[in-house]
Amino acid sequence: MTTTAPATQHVWRVVKLHFVNRWTIIGVPGLVLTFILLVNVAIWAIIAATSSGQDRVDAEQGLTYTGASFYIFVYMLIVALQAINNTFPFALGFGVTRREFSFGTAIAFVLLAIGYGAAFTLLSYIEQWTGGWGLGGHMFTAIYFSDGPWFARLLVFSGAMVFFFFFGACAASVFVRWRSNGLLVLGAAIAVVIVGLVALATFTSSWGVIGRWFLGAGPTGIVAWLLVPTAIAAVAGYFVLGRATPRSA
Amino acid sequence: MSAVIEVDHLTKRFGRFTAIDGVSLAVEEHGIYGLLGRNGAGKTTLMQLLTGQEFATSGSIRLFGEPPVENSSVLDRLCFIKESQRYPDEYRPHHVLTAAPWFFPNWDAEFAAKLISDFRLPLNRRIKKLSRGQVSALGVIVGLASRAPLTFFDEPYLGLDAVARQIFYDRLPADYSEHPRTVLLSTHLIDEVSNLLEHVIVIDDGRVLIDADADTLRGSATTVSGRTGAIDAFSAGRRILHRESVGGLSSAVIEGLDADARAQAVRDGLDLSPVSLQQLVVATTTSSPTEWKESA
Repeated sequence: MTTTAPATQHVWRVVKLHFVNRWTIIGVPGLVLTFILLVNVAIWAIIAATSSGQDRVDAEQGLTYTGASFYIFVYMLIVALQAINNTFPFALGFGVTRREFSFGTAIAFVLLAIGYGAAFTLLSYIEQWTGGWGLGGHMFTAIYFSDGPWFARLLVFSGAMVFFFFFGACAASVFVRWRSNGLLVLGAAIAVVIVGLVALATFTSSWGVIGRWFLGAGPTGIVAWLLVPTAIAAVAGYFVLGRATPRSA
Repeated sequence: MSAVIEVDHLTKRFGRFTAIDGVSLAVEEHGIYGLLGRNGAGKTTLMQLLTGQEFATSGSIRLFGEPPVENSSVLDRLCFIKESQRYPDEYRPHHVLTAAPWFFPNWDAEFAAKLISDFRLPLNRRIKKLSRGQVSALGVIVGLASRAPLTFFDEPYLGLDAVARQIFYDRLPADYSEHPRTVLLSTHLIDEVSNLLEHVIVIDDGRVLIDADADTLRGSATTVSGRTGAIDAFSAGRRILHRESVGGLSSAVIEGLDADARAQAVRDGLDLSPVSLQQLVVATTTSSPTEWKESA
């Protein structure tokens, strides 16, 4: 495979291709997110109406441990899977090279991640300024997210989303190239690596050190480190897809 | 005239299965080529190799003088419409038609609009919910309106009704005469397209059996029928493509009968009838050792 970069025009049309159907990538997740927020507002209102004093303080403390917005990250993983599994064979039929497709898709993912990251950052400030939507609730200022300056929040949201995109894209590339056998091997390999790391941490009695590292790194540090596996997934996906063949079913 | 496709000793193996077995062929610029053969003969694999979607095991492919794999300057001039095309999840036909002009520089939106109304394609229905024929119509519309210098249609009209197929058979040559290009069409509805084709390539078991001008091919063989004894005598020493016997009667598809031979057959009391392209393909491809797996 040659290493010359594909023409900008050729890459850009692939980016546009991912944004042709905005309903799937913006409309549906936006609506679901709005619905989740409304359900949470209702729950916070119930808590606010039925608790007072110390109970109320405890409840608000507990609300920071929310997974309400995690859905969007999993959704983007599925968006990435479909982008490779369905849009890849479609684009190749339209005369796109694998290289152009990979570059264009990566740009589309980064743009989407920045867009969602910006929206989440804005929502986290609104949540903060309105005192948790007037009810002390937390959805975009959950404990796992950064409460630092805007660029730290943007990094955490966008960085986490980019990880899900490229991890999904890498897994889907393995599927497109080697079908389900490839996914089984990939899953097994990941399981072996995780078990190996757990064993390493346990036998060297370093769980305490790891825990302290996570606390010390904080959301921004963790997401910054997450960029390493993200980059590995992106590069691996690129090479796997580079020899993949679109199949019909 | 120059060759837009040059294939030399092309072989593609999937594990131990050889899908394309040492194929060599050339396709000249401007013409409608038929790629004919039975199910599983290797038509789709050959087209996927030609369009750079599949990687060759050995041999060479040149499109416009260059290898197609990962080659933008070649792929920009192609359009590949296949029966089994996948579309992005939740796409509707209008999404496909919005994106198509970005990829096909010669895209004709007006022609596309006309085809959409001819085929009565609902633009705003999810592709998943379209009928088999409507999905095929979408592919045919993109393939025709793209006006790509080299267009591949792989079984493009599965599920299309007779009226829609006729629209395709009418539109393709009409548009082709105004905008000459090279079209390679694979199909098993041979009789229907036989008037459309200028050149025929028949493949079976991954090998090219026939690669000939369609007109030449139509006159190249004759069905001779009569009493088995007379057929045996007449066909001795001639090239028989296919032979059938029922009771005491036989018929044989015989290649290259000249005027003398025809006169001889008539004197022997045998009947002569022309062989259609479809009969010729059937005769050529049933003589191979493989069994019929599916009825075409």
